[in-house]
Amino acid sequence: MRQTKRKNLLRCGLLVSFFFAMRPVLGLETLRVLAWPGYADPDVVARFEQRYQAKVEVTYVDSDEVLWSRLHSPQDQRFDVVAANTVEIARYVAAGLLAPLDLAALPNTRRQSPRFQALATIPGLVHDGRIYAVPYTYSTMGLIYDRRQFRTPPQSMNVLWNPRYRHKVLAFNSAAHNFSFTALGLGIAHPFRLDREQMKHVTRRLVALRRNILTYYTLPEEATELFMEHKVALLFANYGTQQLAQLRQAGADVGYVLPREGALAWLDCWAMTRTAPRPALATAWINYMLDPGVGALLSRRQGLANTQSHPSAQESSATIVWLAPVEDIAQRESLWRRIVSGDRPERF
Amino acid sequence: MRPGLAVKLAVLLAAIGILASGLTGFFAYTANRSMLVEAAQRNLLTSTQLLNRRFAAALTDIGDDSRLLASLPIAPRLAAAGSGKERQREENMLAQAFAAMMKIHPAYLQIRLIGAGQNGLERVRVDSSASRPIRVEGEQLQEKGHFPYVFETLRLGPGRTYQSRISINRENGTHSAQDKPILRVATPVYEARGPALGVLVITVDLASLLTTLKADLPKNYGLYLANKWGDFLIHPNPALTFGFDKGRRFFMQDSFRATRPLFDKGARSTVLNGLDEPQQAAGLVLAFEREPFSSSDPHHFVVLGLSQPLTGVLDGAESLGRSIVRMVLAFSALAIVLAVVFARAITHPLNMLAHAATRFSSERAMEALPLKRMDEIGILARCFDRMRNQIQSHMAELLEHQQEMAYLAHHDQLSGLPNRTLFFRQLEESLHSASRRQSLLAVLFVDLDCFKQVNDEFGHAMGDQVLHTVARRLQHTVRAQDLVARLGGDEFIILLGDVSDDKDLPAIANKILDSLREPMMLGGRSLSIGGSIGISVFPRDGCTAEELVQHADQAMYEVKTSGRNATRLYSPPEQRTGLPG
Repeated sequence: MRQTKRKNLLRCGLLVSFFFAMRPVLGLETLRVLAWPGYADPDVVARFEQRYQAKVEVTYVDSDEVLWSRLHSPQDQRFDVVAANTVEIARYVAAGLLAPLDLAALPNTRRQSPRFQALATIPGLVHDGRIYAVPYTYSTMGLIYDRRQFRTPPQSMNVLWNPRYRHKVLAFNSAAHNFSFTALGLGIAHPFRLDREQMKHVTRRLVALRRNILTYYTLPEEATELFMEHKVALLFANYGTQQLAQLRQAGADVGYVLPREGALAWLDCWAMTRTAPRPALATAWINYMLDPGVGALLSRRQGLANTQSHPSAQESSATIVWLAPVEDIAQRESLWRRIVSGDRPERF
Repeated sequence: MRPGLAVKLAVLLAAIGILASGLTGFFAYTANRSMLVEAAQRNLLTSTQLLNRRFAAALTDIGDDSRLLASLPIAPRLAAAGSGKERQREENMLAQAFAAMMKIHPAYLQIRLIGAGQNGLERVRVDSSASRPIRVEGEQLQEKGHFPYVFETLRLGPGRTYQSRISINRENGTHSAQDKPILRVATPVYEARGPALGVLVITVDLASLLTTLKADLPKNYGLYLANKWGDFLIHPNPALTFGFDKGRRFFMQDSFRATRPLFDKGARSTVLNGLDEPQQAAGLVLAFEREPFSSSDPHHFVVLGLSQPLTGVLDGAESLGRSIVRMVLAFSALAIVLAVVFARAITHPLNMLAHAATRFSSERAMEALPLKRMDEIGILARCFDRMRNQIQSHMAELLEHQQEMAYLAHHDQLSGLPNRTLFFRQLEESLHSASRRQSLLAVLFVDLDCFKQVNDEFGHAMGDQVLHTVARRLQHTVRAQDLVARLGGDEFIILLGDVSDDKDLPAIANKILDSLREPMMLGGRSLSIGGSIGISVFPRDGCTAEELVQHADQAMYEVKTSGRNATRLYSPPEQRTGLPG
């Protein structure tokens, strides 16, 4: 009698513990998200969790290098979805880290502006006819100009070289982008694939730019300080509209243009990893991220453009050149170091 | 067994004693620790301030060196473009001066004269390469006009100095200075009149500058330096320094929240320690001070901090802690001994009282009491004593009453003889023993003859006297072990125990009748009274008291009906029919 009672108790206990062990599988599935700060705020995550009865774990990264190493985490810490720019996406696809997406399961993609629905025109997202990522947010690298020093907004990239603004120009201290936008300004068709001659040409042009600028900046705060202190007329906005907002906050009367030769832009996309154990939930997350409400929040809080809102007339008519892998980043970096260090053009 | 009051009291008192000494020890220990930590914080802050002063003084010295070189008469001439043999000679002279300066100051990694024209082209440049000055000339000279240390310095007036931010030197081909944390000190070069012609720049190795500054600090001190945004420039963990240069920033105000006011509220200094803020400063005592950094930019500052391991600070506290523990243990032992003694002193008289109360209630014994004490126990003892005496006297009274009551309940008041109740009880007891011993026992039912006439003729008082006298006579006639009782009215009953032979019984009964018949003198008159006696014998005439008495009564009744004044043994009815009436 007593023995059976104890057995029953044991059975009950086993059932209860089994129930608790099964709970995450039965009711609460876990989605592991790898994203940049501001991409998945707690309130946005909470709404998704409620809607899909899932648990979301967001891990934030602050550089492409960290993102890459996180994606190579041990088995038990694999991520389901990841936000990365087009260059990185191309790299992940090449490394076989991503799974193709089914657009039919992402109805919110149809609410994106036409530029972002034309996935084939964006380098890095489509491979062998299969889609590996969908655009989420982007930032153009236009020109910020002082409205008091420009009667009409500048049109061309080449205004940066205009001796009229000598020592009134700020450039960004970066190897990849500077070569690319200079190439765009020179009308080179493939700014990310420069041949020897083009590279030499672009390098000399960058030395000429160096002679025309006040200095290079690295952080947006630094640029704002220099802009105010030295009455700068023009700057290459590596941080895009985010930088514009910061300058305006500091009291500058500034405008933002995308040059007619085309503006470089980075584009962050959502992708699903090949190892995602629950593709349906991962797809639901990506679709949710493309919800206009989520996009609007991102724009309001981070000052970043979303892919649903209608862009300004100037922007929609401008050519946007999405960043793509460059021919030889090491070469660009070594050349760039020499340019910044002040080597004279004869030495290139 | 449950612990007694003495044990409880001793445990309580000992616990109080141990707790008191333990708490005192604990608070002394913690107070001492925080005092030591506070003192260490003060000292550390003083060291930090001293280090800051020395840092500032060192920067001023560098500024003086740059001004000295900039004030050389050949400097303005060389700052402008030019060529020729004479210029060559002057350039060599200046380069030698630079080299001499670098020999004196190993922290100087580069000294340059940069022209304002030609996009800030370097005119005379000496680098340090493996601690040796090396001249950089011709094609190797670079354009530096886009660097703040050139364009900002050119804006300064004569004799002023510019101090750059501390950064990693990413300028190519700078020999020892390349990729090192450096700062640049620059002075504009002026002629007697006119605009600045160039700048004189000294590149200083931050590491060797600080090594000399903190040379006399203890080895286990950690040094922290942050720029005005909080980016670590120096940290015991080098991986956290110059984060902005690697695309991932590490801020002092994130690592040590307490330093936040230094950056956004203009506070001058702050201290923190691992005792109060184990999250921020685990195992450390830290002091931070904000120091204006650049004479040309009033908003520019750095925050310098020093850390010291908490263990070193608390070494003194640990030895004190050990002696406190010993002291607490000793006091606790003392507390236990005192508690036991005290508990016994309190409970001993209580035990006495308790013992006295127990003995009194069980045996009515009057034990000694601590009556002479003047405290509450004395009062209690005296009260108890009084109460005990009262109880004693009440009990005695009660007993007396009880005996009286018992006597009244079992005796006839008039004759003083046992009454019916007592008689029946005695009879039953005697029946028990008689049946055990198989002995004989007789019950004699005595009824006075013509007693009613006595009552009627002489009154009840006389009747009572008669009954009284009869009682005496009956008592005197029987043996001492026999029992005479009055059943009521003129009826008496006698129990004769241990009758050896029932043939003696008529003789005994007649002897009784004889004693009754003797005349009695009452109120001056002689009175003679007779009686009738019925006898029943155990076991022959009955086994129960009721049967025996009833049969004796029947026998007596038969005497009455057959003429009185005689005795008769009970005989059952079936025998009687055969006998003459």
